[in-house]
Amino acid sequence: MNCGFCGKEIPAEIGPGEEKNSCGSCRGGCRKIHCPYCGYANPAPGKLLRRILEKKEQKD
Amino acid sequence: MAEQNPLPKVVLVGNPNVGKSVLFNVLTGAYTTVSNYPGTSVEVSRGECEIFGVNYEILDTPGMYSIMPITEEERVARKILLAETPHAVLHVIDARNIERMLPMTLQLIEAGLPIILVVNILDEAKRLGMQINLQKLQQNLGVPVIGTVMRRKQGLAELQQAIADYASVPHKPFTYGRDLERDVTLTAALLKGEYRFSKRATSLLLMQKDTDVEQLVERGEPAENLAELMEVVRGIIFERRADLHLQISMERKKICKNMLADVVTQAEQADEPFAEKLSRWTINPWSGTPILLLVIYFGLYQFVGGFGAGTLVDFLEGSLFENYINPPVVDFVRSHVSAEWLFELLAGEYGLWTLGIRYAVALVLPIVGTFFLIFSLLEDTGYFPRLALLVDRVFKKIGLSGRAVIPMVLGFGCDTMATMVTRTLETVRERIIATILLSLAIPCSAQLGVILGLLSEVPGALAVWMISMLLIFLLVGFLASKVMPGEHPVFYMELPPLRLPQFRNVAVKTLTRMQSYFMEILPLFLFASFILWGLKMLGALEGIIGGLAPIVRAIGLPNEATSAFVFGFFRRDFGAAGLYDLQTNGLLTPTQLTVAAVTLTLFVPCIAQFLMMKKERGFQVSLSIFLFVSVLAFACGWLLNKILLTTGVLA
Repeated sequence: MNCGFCGKEIPAEIGPGEEKNSCGSCRGGCRKIHCPYCGYANPAPGKLLRRILEKKEQKD
Repeated sequence: MAEQNPLPKVVLVGNPNVGKSVLFNVLTGAYTTVSNYPGTSVEVSRGECEIFGVNYEILDTPGMYSIMPITEEERVARKILLAETPHAVLHVIDARNIERMLPMTLQLIEAGLPIILVVNILDEAKRLGMQINLQKLQQNLGVPVIGTVMRRKQGLAELQQAIADYASVPHKPFTYGRDLERDVTLTAALLKGEYRFSKRATSLLLMQKDTDVEQLVERGEPAENLAELMEVVRGIIFERRADLHLQISMERKKICKNMLADVVTQAEQADEPFAEKLSRWTINPWSGTPILLLVIYFGLYQFVGGFGAGTLVDFLEGSLFENYINPPVVDFVRSHVSAEWLFELLAGEYGLWTLGIRYAVALVLPIVGTFFLIFSLLEDTGYFPRLALLVDRVFKKIGLSGRAVIPMVLGFGCDTMATMVTRTLETVRERIIATILLSLAIPCSAQLGVILGLLSEVPGALAVWMISMLLIFLLVGFLASKVMPGEHPVFYMELPPLRLPQFRNVAVKTLTRMQSYFMEILPLFLFASFILWGLKMLGALEGIIGGLAPIVRAIGLPNEATSAFVFGFFRRDFGAAGLYDLQTNGLLTPTQLTVAAVTLTLFVPCIAQFLMMKKERGFQVSLSIFLFVSVLAFACGWLLNKILLTTGVLA
């Protein structure tokens, strides 16, 4: 995904729900992806939405 | 058995999405392996190919924006360049963004690597009217330059020829400004060890505090030389602490611009593309400020305030909940629960349903939903980085830079998360000033929506609120920057292109933000309702309200308004919802409504924001901010009340 602020590509492993990347500000699991270049907090889709999007991508 | 000679290596480097992987596949075909780079989870693809009878190993590195790494991907890509001894390094760039990508070519050439520049996606550049004189560029850079359209294999033969013929020759030096050149030359002269990158490039990386290169130098330098070298580097770093990164970046850009002056020609077009024009307008203060005001008027005032806080809340709260949902729920609880305390807990004045659920679902959710929709729309167009450039000059006056737009913009969504993001600001001073301003003058989305919705019904009230908030924001920022003197922060960033928002992106971002927000507020609203219910049952709530009442009366508000301030301590949006109840019950005059809105916006950060402040800034700083904000909020409320009553502006 690309950062919503600076437009740079955020490496895939900086993803949602990754324990090692969690900043601890979201209750009930990480829902943000912080851009390593500018620090902007990008929203990370929850599990259900991610599953729907993945299914749609597979279909496409 | 004798060890086989390793194959000559060809390394592919470049920004993400420039066609590097396409080139890798074209060169290698099916013979590839993907494995994690040792000690990391970053994948590196390797393959082999034969060019004019010679076999080569091809390495596809992860995307990188500079040889000064920030992410793990970039670190791995740079490690490969430092560890391998390639026959050739193919720097793949997107022809359409040649000016933005060429500075990295300069870095790679400066590092002394055997570079071949691959200018890919030439067809798209031509379609946009760009003519690139590749021969001239090759002459200016002093390295082979090949133009390609790799998805159609155009330019493949020339590229293969260039790889086969590659003969490393000393690269052209690119000269920086006099001061920077002096420092680079001095440092490079002191380097005695042997390094993969040239001494000039190693010096520049050392001066930019690159820790990996520092370690290499510590290992590579003779002990008697190391101390003197590091002393000189530390001196340069200190002397240039304010703007070294910016200066290097700007000088590289300048070199590239000059180099491209006679290389790229843009075909005459009847009209400059509208996106380009709009992008320029958004940054220019004369046109950018009216555009910002239009965004605020239509995006926030009309859509969030008018549609979200007005139409949607009226429908959900005033019609659906009031007429169809609440009565059966309350009746059901009353008929099944005999204990008065339990009824109060579930469906009483401060009940979990009547206060917690109703506020969260019927009041806050439609407002934050409309806010996040407009927010995601603006985000997807690429407007925010332009806003950062637009306000940079004003922000400098208050000790911040355009970079602080990131937490400020996020603060309109949720101040708690924005407080955490202040850690991305460069200096401690900036972080403290941004934290104060966030806890004071930046309302969160729900609070903003309710206030816009309520004040838009009273002529003049919204203007008074906006002017008050802007003045307080600038005044407090200005004073804070004077109380905490320090260096002026430097801000620069590459602008991503302005684009039409994509429906899918906007929908996913809006839904994700709404879900995230709702998950956060619902338990807190229920918890706040529970505490308020407990305080009411114990008779303590009246005591707290009674204690706060003289202060609330002093700023000209009725006793009933005290509850909104008590709510506001739990959550800013909870307090704003309390204000909505007061107004819909007809308890406030226009002046009182405006004073209450200003005071509540400035009023203490909510519990979650306070805890985040404590985590980021420490207890002492957070407590000081908390006390300062509380006193200032009521002082401003008192002053505004006096001014409005004296002038009769909203009478």
